[in-house]
Amino acid sequence: MSTINPPKEQSLIEYRVDRILEEANTDTRIVVLARQDGALDTFPIWVGSAEGNAIKLALDATITPRPMSHDLIKSFAEHLSVTIQRVVIADVKSSTYYATVYVANKGVERMIDARPSDAISLALRAHCPIYITQDVLTRRSTTNLDAWLAKLESKNIGTPEVQET
Amino acid sequence: MHIKGLMFDPYNNAYIVVLRDEEHSDMLPIWVGKSEAGAISMAMENVTPPRPMTHDFMKSFLDAYNAKVISVVITDLSEHTYFAKIHLMYEDSEYTVDARPSDAIALALRSNAPVFANDTVITKQSSEELEQWLENLKPEDFGKLDS
Repeated sequence: MSTINPPKEQSLIEYRVDRILEEANTDTRIVVLARQDGALDTFPIWVGSAEGNAIKLALDATITPRPMSHDLIKSFAEHLSVTIQRVVIADVKSSTYYATVYVANKGVERMIDARPSDAISLALRAHCPIYITQDVLTRRSTTNLDAWLAKLESKNIGTPEVQET
Repeated sequence: MHIKGLMFDPYNNAYIVVLRDEEHSDMLPIWVGKSEAGAISMAMENVTPPRPMTHDFMKSFLDAYNAKVISVVITDLSEHTYFAKIHLMYEDSEYTVDARPSDAIALALRSNAPVFANDTVITKQSSEELEQWLENLKPEDFGKLDS
């Protein structure tokens, strides 16, 4: 299934969803992940508003009258006796993060590519851990800045001089 | 039912998925949100996004286990809200899973599965639809008629 993350073991750090922020002026949300072990580190991921809302619903354990998309995926997993083992933010390319969802059934583990927002939404509903690879953590600092700049550019906020600072 | 198209409904600031039964020429409009409409339109236009969208992920998940979507059925309508069921085939057993029609349709399009609507939904819809449009009429809309 997965082409992004080869099945080699990478060192993984566990994170939890700390909060969802609304970014002013843009139709995006920032999902703030924090270290599960309490170490001081936060990892922001920019997502669309619909994706952010899906995560917020799960974070607040809101019961919706009808199953939302990720509730449906969870429901499929239950019907197929598949357990969602863990989700891993496994790669970053051009400021875009890529995730892998690890699922298992009858002792066989499979990997499915996903966007981090879908992976996180599902992890919260399935109560499974969220990991970030050490590799992504090392490569993120500049990508964060790039993402900020890209967002600014897309909304034409500020002048080019400001964006370069 | 055929998925005829997507329309924007300015009264509700939402989108309408129009389903049509070719045989009886029945129409079934289903109101969905913006992101749900996006998921349906990407499948209608066969757009392959750079990263899997939610329903592409859903499809990959089912594919990983050789679970097949046999059909989706719009089953009920109450208080302007539609309900749907997805029929799955997995290891020679059939499973029925509750879903929102928007998810069911987005998945059916990606799985080449047929979409059905219960007769009762189509009959109920014709009366509820009228009510909904009437409820949404604003004073300004009447004003437009005068001018």
